[in-house]
Amino acid sequence: MIRYSFRRLALLVVTLWLLTVFLFALNYFFPGDPLTNMSGVRASNPEAYQQQVVARNFDQSIVMQYVSFLGHFTRGDWGQSLTTQRDVFADLMPLLGATLELSLLAMILAMVLGAPLGLYAAGQQRGAMDRVVMGISLSAYSIPVFWLAQLFILLFAVKLGWTPISGQLNPLFNIDVRTGAILIDILLSDTPYKKAAIADAINHLWLPVIVLAIMPATMLLRVMRNSMLEVLQQNYIRAARARGLSESRILWLHALPNAMQPVVRQLGLMFSILMSNIIVLEVIFNWPGMGSWLVKSIYERDYPVMQGGLFTIAALILLVNVLVELFHAWRYPQVRKELYAEH
Amino acid sequence: MSAILDIRNLSIELETDNGLVRVLDRFNLQLSEGEIHTLVGESGSGKSLLAKAILGFINPRWKITADRLWWRHYDLLSLSPAQRRLVTGRDMAMIFQDPGSHLDPNEKVGAQLQESIPSGALKGIYLKRRADRKTRAERLLHRVGIKDTDDVMERYPHELSEGLAQKISIAMAIAHNPKLLIADEPTTAMEPSTRAQIYRLLAKLSASQGMSILMVTQDLTAVVPESQRMSMIYCGQLMETGPTQQLMAEPYHPYTDAMLSMSLFNQDLPPKTRLPTLKGAIPTLQHMPIGCRLGPRCPYARRACIHQPPLEKRQQQQFACHYPLRDDPDHE
Repeated sequence: MIRYSFRRLALLVVTLWLLTVFLFALNYFFPGDPLTNMSGVRASNPEAYQQQVVARNFDQSIVMQYVSFLGHFTRGDWGQSLTTQRDVFADLMPLLGATLELSLLAMILAMVLGAPLGLYAAGQQRGAMDRVVMGISLSAYSIPVFWLAQLFILLFAVKLGWTPISGQLNPLFNIDVRTGAILIDILLSDTPYKKAAIADAINHLWLPVIVLAIMPATMLLRVMRNSMLEVLQQNYIRAARARGLSESRILWLHALPNAMQPVVRQLGLMFSILMSNIIVLEVIFNWPGMGSWLVKSIYERDYPVMQGGLFTIAALILLVNVLVELFHAWRYPQVRKELYAEH
Repeated sequence: MSAILDIRNLSIELETDNGLVRVLDRFNLQLSEGEIHTLVGESGSGKSLLAKAILGFINPRWKITADRLWWRHYDLLSLSPAQRRLVTGRDMAMIFQDPGSHLDPNEKVGAQLQESIPSGALKGIYLKRRADRKTRAERLLHRVGIKDTDDVMERYPHELSEGLAQKISIAMAIAHNPKLLIADEPTTAMEPSTRAQIYRLLAKLSASQGMSILMVTQDLTAVVPESQRMSMIYCGQLMETGPTQQLMAEPYHPYTDAMLSMSLFNQDLPPKTRLPTLKGAIPTLQHMPIGCRLGPRCPYARRACIHQPPLEKRQQQQFACHYPLRDDPDHE
């Protein structure tokens, strides 16, 4: 396990390093001055520009430029925004919090919804309810998320008026942004209206969370159902029955843990899909997170912001995937044998 | 003779696209207490189906009929599925030919072994019960010949060799002291030395605990000397049954005779001679011959063989053949 963890982590480091090489190269591929693209300082401000030339080794070879870029990057000096002149790294943290809050809640909802429904469908195999559940899941899986979001807004926010159309919180509450995750920020703040603020935040949250959770939930449901059906055919389940173990014991202690194995393996992939959906959704729901920030920076050709956003999302997806793989290998020891081949 | 397992005229029919196919045809088997009975047949002869029918692993698409399917004083066919599972779960156990796949890959061997010990047998309260469970598990491992119990209990199934996995399956199967152990080709995938070990172990268990064992195999060389009786099965029909030594020495049925001559017991054949075989192939399920199913392959078949011969008894041996060997001067 230690060897395996080391290998995964080494792979993570190498991938992240390649990502920085790619980001550095982007500065040259983007139109305009590479130094401006990198630091956000324009040549129209000669003094500051000259400072950047020296600080980022732009008077030296390209290798030295990369070394300096890596140094700035790892120190958290990601340049400043071309449009707002604010520090990219400092701006990014609260946005990341808002995105993580949304994605975590959606992920949890997807698991709570998808896994039991998958088990239920497996139990009703080829029955009427199985077909209904699988049919609904297939149609929900096929609807593009941007369209589904618009439909839900139209129905729940505009027609029924149950929830605000967009945003994270009513500005009246005046909560200081610290982590960016709105529920945590409210709890950290000293506003006298905590309960009302939380209620309002949840009122804003539930619709995007549901829209976001639908796709991973349907994926989970299908994987869960199929793997459960497969596990129930396995010899060790039949052997357990032959030994006279109770049916509930077989289901909960032998079938379910084994059926969860492919589900866990899929979690990383699900997170990647969730992240690409979240970018679209944040724009639609006007959510102050990474996604809407990144999309805005693309519209505005704000290259330092684009780099920061790209790197963060890519690193996040990589990190989650590696963590899922590590958890998978730790929880399911028989997988490790396949990974090393036999020895 | 008091048979604890009494099977008379058991037939199993499968629903297929070509209608009902009778895969087990009026099969008879009696097993008494503490007896090792070896059931020999080629693959596809219905021996595993028989084992499943006894244990009650029944697919709803199978049609099972029998004049008698009795286990001790229970008529297994008239019990409800729940009652039947209770009886078979308490009295019977089975070990399989691919032991590795019959262990939960996600759980340590020790935990699985402890799980198979019935809670009713434990003494004491909570913590003491757990300790008792553990010592019982260790004792089970000792009984199947595993000395390094602590190491083995901490392993996952994929870290076991086939022989070790089979020993553990046996330990799990005997955890609740079953009266009948069905061993369905328990050593097919194993090396000869491990194979001998497993058979010796099973014979010892039968002797020491009065456990009856139905040993299912396709290999006559795997018949252990401790086996008291054996039956030959071909394509779902019982060919011959009787005391093992007697059957091996003086078979009446041509099938038994052919199997014996094929299994290369102490035969001194010169190099490059053709090995004795039974001509032809096992018929497919859809094209079973009528009458005696060995008919088309039998070297002694005659016209009467299109009718299924009744079981005939010679002392302790029973066979189903119109023209038994050692009986008929025309034979050889």
